[in-house]
Amino acid sequence: MSNLLEINNLSIDVKIEKSYYNIVNRLSLSIAKKQKYGIVGESGSGKSLTSVAIMNLLADSLSVSEGQILFEETQELTTLSNKEMMKIRGKDISIIFQEPMTALDPIFTIEYQISEVLKIHFNHSKKEMREMIISILKDVGIPRPESIMKSYPHELSGGMRQRVVIAMALICKPKLLIADEPTTALDVTIQAQILELMNELTEKYDTSILMITHDLGVINETCERVAVMYAGEVVEESSVDSLFSHPKHPYTQGLLKSIHTLGDRSEKLYSIPGNVPTPTQLKKHGCRFASRCPHVMDLCKEETPPYVEVSEDQVSKCWLHTERGEYNEQGQKASVASEEYEKTFSD
Amino acid sequence: MNKVKKPVLQVKNMKKHFPIKGGIIKRTKNHVRAVDGISFDVQEQETFSLVGESGCGKSTTGRSILRLTEPTDGEVYFNGEEVLGCTQKEFRKYRKDMQMIFQDPFSSLNPRMTVKSLLLEPLMTHKLYSKKEALNKVYEIAERVGLSKEQVSRHPHEFSGGQRQRISIARALIMNPKLIILDEAVSALDVSIQAQILNLLIDLQKEFKLTYVFISHDLNVVKHLSDRIGVMYLGQMMEMTTTESLFNNPLHPYTTSLLSAIPSYDRNKKKDRIVLKGDVPDPANPPSGCPFRLRCPQAHELCETHKPVYQEVEDNHWVACHLYNEGIPERKRIRL
Repeated sequence: MSNLLEINNLSIDVKIEKSYYNIVNRLSLSIAKKQKYGIVGESGSGKSLTSVAIMNLLADSLSVSEGQILFEETQELTTLSNKEMMKIRGKDISIIFQEPMTALDPIFTIEYQISEVLKIHFNHSKKEMREMIISILKDVGIPRPESIMKSYPHELSGGMRQRVVIAMALICKPKLLIADEPTTALDVTIQAQILELMNELTEKYDTSILMITHDLGVINETCERVAVMYAGEVVEESSVDSLFSHPKHPYTQGLLKSIHTLGDRSEKLYSIPGNVPTPTQLKKHGCRFASRCPHVMDLCKEETPPYVEVSEDQVSKCWLHTERGEYNEQGQKASVASEEYEKTFSD
Repeated sequence: MNKVKKPVLQVKNMKKHFPIKGGIIKRTKNHVRAVDGISFDVQEQETFSLVGESGCGKSTTGRSILRLTEPTDGEVYFNGEEVLGCTQKEFRKYRKDMQMIFQDPFSSLNPRMTVKSLLLEPLMTHKLYSKKEALNKVYEIAERVGLSKEQVSRHPHEFSGGQRQRISIARALIMNPKLIILDEAVSALDVSIQAQILNLLIDLQKEFKLTYVFISHDLNVVKHLSDRIGVMYLGQMMEMTTTESLFNNPLHPYTTSLLSAIPSYDRNKKKDRIVLKGDVPDPANPPSGCPFRLRCPQAHELCETHKPVYQEVEDNHWVACHLYNEGIPERKRIRL
């Protein structure tokens, strides 16, 4: 299967007072055609920046220092000029942002804002455009599209606005849809509506999805493959099935454990100690999760762990899976400790 | 449960209507019925949660109990004393026993004050201790919530979100309150930090014998923390019961669909999801009869014409829905 999008060793730096700090470190992932891919991570893990970098929309203080983003195996998105990028944005790759209020311009009607995308990429007549807009608004489940398209964003509710944003993103039938926390600002009942709608529409339009979220539940509901990010790095990359049934990286294990103990009142809620390091606190060498890891070894603090293929469809960035990480400080076999953990986890 | 049951807080038929003003002379045209007749009791050392979607009035309820917005109607009893009737000045003596923690740890702490002065302020306002005693108290509480002595002299911007929420908790705790109202206290935090703060809240509750009113939209968090839960919709209580029976035996159609909408973490269990149609109606023009009827999968004619009675259909299980009207003895019905 050929890859629609391939990111190789992408690094992004931020410039703070004349010095550069690395915030996304050597990130690699590939999204196949029609695949639903998820990136999950806490705030500050660099997941949104990755999506912004794909769209070539990084702010001035941010820069890609290394790596490439290949779209359809030929186009290198990081080197394209703004003019060339304009042809791709909205047509081949489109993006949905978290806040439907700020994504829509308050002073233009819904019809005008959706038609803008069509004007840039196609040469349709006004009548054709109107018909296209009405049909896409119907597709995203907006009642009375003829009258709703004449209204302004403030007249619509949050869920309706997000539907409009989805309509706008899908009207050119893009090959890749990036959804950056599309349901975070919405209520659960509306979130369920929107996720269902996105699943339906991407099937219908043969679109690949890159779903960016902090919520593993959303990943479980929508995605096939997932990359877990921590402090600017992918720590684990796997199929969603494997990730939920046997997480390998200690960070993923911790996340899932804290989710699973939530709601079980007899047990103390599992929590990962400490905080996510800020970009200025990050060290050049060693594992970025070392300060919070329950299986930490001396090795972890000195040398950066490699990516290890732990099973057919699962890659984890941890010393535990290698020969060198076999024994931890207490002389206990670390991989055994991890297995024990998994056992308690699966019960 | 071997706790001595005694209601710390009783809310009776509380209403909060915000006027909508318009025209040249700013005449009141209509009201937004943010909270429209809510009643509940909170027992000592209990965690009572209010859940619902945005705009259902759960935060307004919390703020009205503390009179941060004056309720339009109703009664609130704190330890058996009516507190809505007294003046704001008289109400002050209750304030040290009733504290609040807000959602956004970035805007609820004054950026120009150090943590020390933030924590000292309530003690000085209520003139309970001498300066020296107060300072000792500040260090003691700060340490309890996990802040070191050096950190206490820093400003809020130097802390992460989770740490800031610890400061907010310390500020609420320093008055030795009986009741803390937590308005979306962990919603702005990441999963791993959220777990830390929830554990802290649970430990503190045991240690200081606290009573919590926990306001949240996150049902997973609510499930973990609460003893009893009230589900709100459009300013009204739809269902109220213990955590166990709400999650295992939800009675109201709204609760059922709300529970089914939570994204599941279980790979093997794909739930049958009830996806609700449409949005929450405008609280300025609520539908006639049952507020939920426009989105309810089980709505019938009666729901349009008659407002369902909020009644105890099972032991400790209150529901406002016509589905449970039959077979309920007349004396059990309580009209609001």
